[in-house]
Amino acid sequence: MTDNLDPPALRDLEPTVSYFGQPLLKRPSWGWSVIGYLFLGGIMGGCGILVALSERRGDSGDRKLARNAKYLSLALAAACPVVLISHLGRPERFLYMLRIVKLKSPMSLGVWGLVAFSGVAGLNAVTAFFGKRGGVLNLPQALLGGFIAGYTGVLLSATAIPLWAKGKFHIPALCVCSGIAGACALNAMLLAADHAPETIHKLERLEMVAGLAEAGILLHFGSFSGIYGKPMYDGKRGERLRTYTLIFGTAVPLALNALPIFKGPLKTLISSALTLLGGYVLREALIEAGKDSADDPKAAFRQPE
Amino acid sequence: MESTSGTGFFTDTTLCIGCKACEVACKQWNELPSDGFDFSGNSYDNTRTLSGTTWRHVSFVEQMNVGASTIQDRWLMMSDVCKHCTHAGCLEACPTGAIIRNEFDNVYIQPDVCNGCGYCIPSCPFGVVDLISPAGDSRHAVYNTATLREDRGDQTAMQVTGGVAGKCTLCYDRQTIGFEPACAKACPTESIQFGNVAELKATAKQRVENLQQRGVDAYLYGVDETGSVGDLNAFFLLTERPEAYNLPPRPVLPSTHQPAAYASAALAVGALALIGTAIFRRAR
Repeated sequence: MTDNLDPPALRDLEPTVSYFGQPLLKRPSWGWSVIGYLFLGGIMGGCGILVALSERRGDSGDRKLARNAKYLSLALAAACPVVLISHLGRPERFLYMLRIVKLKSPMSLGVWGLVAFSGVAGLNAVTAFFGKRGGVLNLPQALLGGFIAGYTGVLLSATAIPLWAKGKFHIPALCVCSGIAGACALNAMLLAADHAPETIHKLERLEMVAGLAEAGILLHFGSFSGIYGKPMYDGKRGERLRTYTLIFGTAVPLALNALPIFKGPLKTLISSALTLLGGYVLREALIEAGKDSADDPKAAFRQPE
Repeated sequence: MESTSGTGFFTDTTLCIGCKACEVACKQWNELPSDGFDFSGNSYDNTRTLSGTTWRHVSFVEQMNVGASTIQDRWLMMSDVCKHCTHAGCLEACPTGAIIRNEFDNVYIQPDVCNGCGYCIPSCPFGVVDLISPAGDSRHAVYNTATLREDRGDQTAMQVTGGVAGKCTLCYDRQTIGFEPACAKACPTESIQFGNVAELKATAKQRVENLQQRGVDAYLYGVDETGSVGDLNAFFLLTERPEAYNLPPRPVLPSTHQPAAYASAALAVGALALIGTAIFRRAR
């Protein structure tokens, strides 16, 4: 019997051939509903974190924020399964995922995270409705919120799609930063009519930090990902990502929030809307570029370790 | 279940003559719909790829006029199939438990449990699994009677309206009554051999040795693998680099990315929560 049935040299050559350029991998079947879920789920998770941050020792503005964030958490927790079901086709199919808990599957864990978050968010919204503080509910809501904002990135990274697998260090953090920035933006919008400039200012500062981190990670991933990043950073999609996520979604809100010459509810509305737009375009770029990444056999032959 | 008791395929590409009897037998037995009629221009391969409704696919690797290369002109054929991995990405990803390892140690999709989420599709490092379009789409109209054939009788009323994942079942229904899978049965050259995986591996190693003695650069793909996917219960004897057959040279199990990904998420949540605490604590 020969010792070496698998000549390593044959495997380690740079792939120069492909099979008629046919894709190795199958394109993910995910469309607008999954993009929408990633977007809404990120904001929902961010709202969960804001609940705990704002109710620690807040003034009246912070208390308004806590109340809004609780209601928003519940509303988004109701919307997310609807979006997911539209992707699955029939409502009862959502329940198939509640048959089992599978630690190895980020999607299984994520669904249970969503269920748990919905429960806590529901209770916390009811207590807020009766004018009570969240108390012991706030920390679980924040932890579950952080999990939900982040697991979507883990879910993408734990695949064979070259772009997503290469992004295992970047994409989860990107989803968290974008989710928290989005939650800050949405809550600032709601507070704009409420005359709570102090709280809006705090939200805007957290939004700036999250936005800066998001932009930094996005730019770093662009060079780190090399050939794997081409579907996301090259061509029209790359231009769209730079225009809407980096410039209009991060840089412009940053300037509006940082420069003292811009003030008032209108500024808050504009900068928040732009941040939300940037977050949506980011999710869209991740999913759509992932599909194209599956089509590139050369990248798929060198699956990121 | 001991892996030694599992069943699988040994596909010896040096014996394949490209007759596509395996493709036809698979389609017929499993009542899978046609892929349509179009010419790919890829040698004799108009099937192109495995799909949710194509579970055997014969690829035709043409190596003609390779110029300065020392390789002789040749035409390689390989019947591709689901690899029924030891560590299966699709099985790990499936959130419903629809994808299981059955009593034959095969990776099997239970169509009545699948909810069509599509997560198994990008989780297969070989690009095997795909979604079968909802019934009602004329091209896949026969789906309901196809993949559910083993449930026929009590579950025919079940309507599949959102699409489900499909791939080779290793003819689970045939195995339960002691038959070999349709493709192996139909193969006229024994290029596709079905049996106990441990026995198939011994046969395959013997075959590689014989071929190497005759000067053929043969090796096994999916046996004694060191990568995260592990050995393949449907493995191949190849004479060219894996990517020539559209196989990944080093398949990676997607779940191996999870520790880094969870750390990335946790780090971001932790850092922003700390900064947020500082921002909101400050009395102004």
